[in-house]
Amino acid sequence: MGRMHLLQTYGPLIEWDWISENFVEDILPALQGHIFLSAASVAIALAISLPLGIFAARYPTAYAPVTFVTGLLYTIPSLAMFGILITVPGIGIGPRAVIVALVAYSLLVLIRNVVAGLDAVPPETVDAARGMGLTSRQILFSVELPLALPVIVAGIRIATVTIIGIATIGAYIAGGGLGKMIFDGINRGFPTMIITGAVLATALAIVADVSLLAVERRLRPWARTRRA
Amino acid sequence: MIEFRGVSKTYPGTEKPVVNDLSFEVPEGEVCVLVGPSGCGKTTSMRMVNRLIDPTQGEILIDGQSNTAMSGTQLRRKIGYAIQQIGLFPHRTIADNVATVPSLLEWDRGRIRERVDGLLDLVGLSPDDYRDRYPAELSGGQQQRVGVARAMAADPPIMLMDEPFGAVDPITRERLQDEFVKIQGDIKKTIVFVTHDIDEAIKMGDKIAILRQGGFLEQYDSPENILANPASEFVASFVGADRILKRLSLLRVREMELEPVNGDGGGLPAISGDLTVRDALSEMMGSGTERAVVERDGERRLITMSAIEELSQDRERPRG
Repeated sequence: MGRMHLLQTYGPLIEWDWISENFVEDILPALQGHIFLSAASVAIALAISLPLGIFAARYPTAYAPVTFVTGLLYTIPSLAMFGILITVPGIGIGPRAVIVALVAYSLLVLIRNVVAGLDAVPPETVDAARGMGLTSRQILFSVELPLALPVIVAGIRIATVTIIGIATIGAYIAGGGLGKMIFDGINRGFPTMIITGAVLATALAIVADVSLLAVERRLRPWARTRRA
Repeated sequence: MIEFRGVSKTYPGTEKPVVNDLSFEVPEGEVCVLVGPSGCGKTTSMRMVNRLIDPTQGEILIDGQSNTAMSGTQLRRKIGYAIQQIGLFPHRTIADNVATVPSLLEWDRGRIRERVDGLLDLVGLSPDDYRDRYPAELSGGQQQRVGVARAMAADPPIMLMDEPFGAVDPITRERLQDEFVKIQGDIKKTIVFVTHDIDEAIKMGDKIAILRQGGFLEQYDSPENILANPASEFVASFVGADRILKRLSLLRVREMELEPVNGDGGGLPAISGDLTVRDALSEMMGSGTERAVVERDGERRLITMSAIEELSQDRERPRG
């Protein structure tokens, strides 16, 4: 309460001058840093989740243990996760710890959607593909994955939006990004910085959400029905 | 030619085989229908031909060579495959679906395009209207046509068809069957056709293999002989009590040997030569007549109840 009171006594909620003066030097790099943190995390998480998800879809007995472990990771509170990670040798304080945490949080959603997408491929489509002489590899890459892709992208969308939010907390362990602006603003009692960081982080999440939704839709051109 | 030699299949963890010491030959250019109740191993038998399933015992020869002589995928690219659930690729256009095997075989684009259009024409779908559509935009019957076209795409000498007309309404089904019988008359593929419907078996098959639960072959013969001389109680009950009528449906009126009409035959009802004898019988019974006139090649011939009766008792008659 005391801090909130202080904030209000130091001036207007938004100083537009500060924004225009620091746009290139501080705001833009923070935004870029945030995009980098999120994008790198999603990319790494996807690189892990795709093979794991394909494996879990092929061997259903692997699905339960995989979701158990990734589910466990998902339940760890983010601040606790950061706290644990900075003590791990080779990770330490900084963006690396943030990325590891964000990857860990994305795994559950991504793997689940990879499996769900592959499971939803009609078995008769796979049977026909096999019966016509496609190899297992060809079936995976030209039939199963393309059909599962919209569901996988839906998972990427959820993971990305979640990650953009959690990444702000990463600034607490020197991860950089928009979270740093928010933390700095709080420390300095300077609401303009807090609001700028918060608004940009939210806007980034919305833009990511909407554009991935558009990608998801474009990936199913076959879903349009124009019955003869 | 396809030859089953003592083929058995037992699934791991089970004791009873689903296919039991199966031996028979499908001659070149003929349609062999595997028919029987569910659990008789008909689909399993068919799927062993292109090695989607491997037999536990015995072997299958294709043109004298074991079907294990090449890799499974190579073998399957040479054998057409059509199934009841169709299994079109929902994310590919009709043209791309039909082009699946030619693409795998790396035909050049022009040849593929020509082939796809030709096949769509053959199965009664105008290429200009359907080429670029997606499967979801087609009705069930249209999708089955595409499924059959896709199976024929690389012009394989052998085709496997598992209830390929099973997923549509009876009227569409009958039309697809009629069209396919006509197409097969031209292309003369060696076909293994699976169905649970004895009427479809009689209509489509040059040979019928009747299987019983547990994968036993009860009888393997032409439709006429199976209807005339069922080899066992099981076959007799499976083909049904109306087997004599079914046999009459294999023959058309114009194929019967009939006496010319004496005089003008005036007053007798006329019957089309295109009818099956079964339908002619039905019409004659309906109009309460013992005799009717058939117009054939400008000649008028007499069809009588007793001629039909004679036909139905003629047990060893070869196929007309």
